[in-house]
Amino acid sequence: MFFRMIRGALTRQRGKMLMIALTIALGASLATAMLNVMLDVGDKVNQELKTYGANITVVPKAASVLNNLYEVEGGETTEGAYLREDELGNIKTIFWAFNIVDFSPFIDTEVSLPGGGTATMVGTWFNHYLSLPTGETLYTGVQNLRTWWDIEEGQWLDEVADGADTCMVGAALAKANGIHAGDVIRVNGRYADANLRVVGVYDSGDDADEQIYAPMEIVQELSNTDGYLTSIEVSAITTPDNELAIKAAKDPKSLSVSQYETWYCTAYVSSICYQIQEVITDSVASPVRKVADSEGAILEKTELLMVLITILALVGSGLGISNLVTASVMERSNEIGLLKAIGAPDRSITAVVLTEIVLTGIAGAVVGYFVGFGFAQIIGHSVFGSSIEMKAMVIPLVGVLVVVVTLLGSIPAVRTLLRLDPTVVLHGR
Amino acid sequence: MTKRKMFFRMITASLIRRRSRMLVALLAIAVGATILSGLVTIYYDVPRQMGAAFRNYGANMILLPDAGNGAFNSQTVDEALSLIAADQIVGVAPYRYETVAINEQPILVAGTDMAGAKAASPYWFINGTWPENENELLLGQEVAQILSAGEGDTLTMVYTLSEADEDNPVSQTSEQRFKVVGVLETGGSEEEYVYISMADLEKLTQPAGELDVVELSISASQSELEGYTQTISDRVDGALAKLVKRVTQSESTVLTKLQSLVLLVTIIVLALTMICVATTMTAVVTERRKEIGLRKALGASDASIIWEFMGEGLLLGGVGGLLGAGLGFAFAQAVSVNVFSSSIAFRPLLLPITVIVSILVTGLACILPVRSATEIDPALVLKGE
Repeated sequence: MFFRMIRGALTRQRGKMLMIALTIALGASLATAMLNVMLDVGDKVNQELKTYGANITVVPKAASVLNNLYEVEGGETTEGAYLREDELGNIKTIFWAFNIVDFSPFIDTEVSLPGGGTATMVGTWFNHYLSLPTGETLYTGVQNLRTWWDIEEGQWLDEVADGADTCMVGAALAKANGIHAGDVIRVNGRYADANLRVVGVYDSGDDADEQIYAPMEIVQELSNTDGYLTSIEVSAITTPDNELAIKAAKDPKSLSVSQYETWYCTAYVSSICYQIQEVITDSVASPVRKVADSEGAILEKTELLMVLITILALVGSGLGISNLVTASVMERSNEIGLLKAIGAPDRSITAVVLTEIVLTGIAGAVVGYFVGFGFAQIIGHSVFGSSIEMKAMVIPLVGVLVVVVTLLGSIPAVRTLLRLDPTVVLHGR
Repeated sequence: MTKRKMFFRMITASLIRRRSRMLVALLAIAVGATILSGLVTIYYDVPRQMGAAFRNYGANMILLPDAGNGAFNSQTVDEALSLIAADQIVGVAPYRYETVAINEQPILVAGTDMAGAKAASPYWFINGTWPENENELLLGQEVAQILSAGEGDTLTMVYTLSEADEDNPVSQTSEQRFKVVGVLETGGSEEEYVYISMADLEKLTQPAGELDVVELSISASQSELEGYTQTISDRVDGALAKLVKRVTQSESTVLTKLQSLVLLVTIIVLALTMICVATTMTAVVTERRKEIGLRKALGASDASIIWEFMGEGLLLGGVGGLLGAGLGFAFAQAVSVNVFSSSIAFRPLLLPITVIVSILVTGLACILPVRSATEIDPALVLKGE
């Protein structure tokens, strides 16, 4: 009898139930879309922030001191003054390898130009093809780490198509020496000379405007530092620092064993630095505070903003659903009065009404979940150009929300109606 | 009783007598209006607020001396700053670099305005404290390693005023003792310098010299910044303004994405909420088919019935809209305080917009069910078919 009543209500009042299901579906889709976007926004914004370039630099233990303050130039490849090129691939083997988006080695040397001036020549990877011991392959280099460069003439250097005897020249240096894209310039290094074809002229807005960027092998040849590097820039996706990370950054040995485990297995910039130091001999990896700190601040703010907007949307959709449910239950005063008049106990009336509403609600929620997931994808594709990951935890969250909200919306209404005298209700007052 | 009076009496009476039902409708409209005004306020405020967060990246404009075109000193800087809207300036840090000897080693020292540097480079991480008093210095991490000095040590700086030559066999130097109060960590080239206050540097080098570079942190969009660099370079003698591309370019990329994220979220949330409001209103009105039938049976014209229901809906929409505009602003304010720890400006234009949209949505939601109710035979409606 119970089921027959419910089935009867669901089929006979199809229009009304459809309306309730529609509203619940709308509310549920809103909740699904917002929760999915909220849970994924951190990763997405983190990817976007990679346009600021590297957030970790790796230098040899003694290099910067030697180069900058005593003006010791390349040549004497003393231990500890250089990083080793053959260890570069190790960076992609650390615990957080997956979080390392890009990295590029650098080696620099002074060269003199035909005009008589000197310039710093930086050897690096542009779009280097890397095949890792793990079987993974990737393209990495400064093309990804210097997204703010404007190419004024020519184009980005392509390592494969353009070959080794090529370079890119900073705008200020090019202007001072009358160099244009397509020219062949002769540079004199300390140990060798080379004729390089200028593939592009870039405007970087910083010191690099006075420099020449060339493939790594040619610079190593000019400075006789084959197989050595002066620095590595790493762009990694990190978790904003907390107290543990700050404590660990000062001295990892001050942590207890369990703290150490937590720290090592969280993508803090300090733990990634620590792991890089473990795989690159005689290196010091330090966060570029300018980038690392700002990333943390911006991520935190964006996430908090999305959380608050999501809460507003959830409250809004919750109120919307419970409102409609209340309205639709109130409408059925006649039916409830009749049930009471023919002697139905309060409990079974409540059970019938609630079951009906919850069944409708669940149907609406299922539709709403998929629609909402669609909305999340629309947001993901049009804003970030990639899809939003489907998070499993959204399903129970939305389910609980819908059930709680429909019950909250219908129970008070049913109770008010039950309190009324059936004769009054049936009389239509 | 005039017709108009009767109209208002019917509307208010129906609102008061059917209190609970009307409360439901009012609540729905108010929630919709809250979301509308709250999200739109946030959407307009995000670039400004986020822009402030992006200032963590440090200076986005630098002033350089324009050689041979006038002096580059603090007056030049003031002149340049007067061209920029005062409330957009986050930090100004002038720098003057000199080479000094500490423990017989050549070290680069930078004279700056400590408060300005702190504001322009919020990412500087100091082990210790910022120099506040005379003769205190901030040591870059790398210099600290070279000198094996740290917080609390005292260092003597020697500046060569003039080199020894044939006339003066002894070089002229000036000396000053400084206390190390902090060690600077940035992960960048800033670690290679020693920082002292401009006044201390001028005492050491005696004649007031020119500045080498001024870092500006300005909270403005990229096009505004480009405008500023142009006007400063054109109008201020001796100064050349340049944008720090890495910061400005990346900022505008990320900020555009964030803003379009908030925009899309706002649109989707708004569309769904408005449909929700509309369905609730429809449900509330559908319920009153009997009443409509009765009135029709009593001889009311369709037009007057529609007008009455619309009047009710519009009143509800107006009140709900007003309520929602207030609540929405409160929500936006709460978000702003929690996320960006700054208050939000009230947008007067949003108040009428919220009220009008609420009225439109409720009006549209009412008109469909009322129409369909008036179209049927009153006898059928009253019988409850």
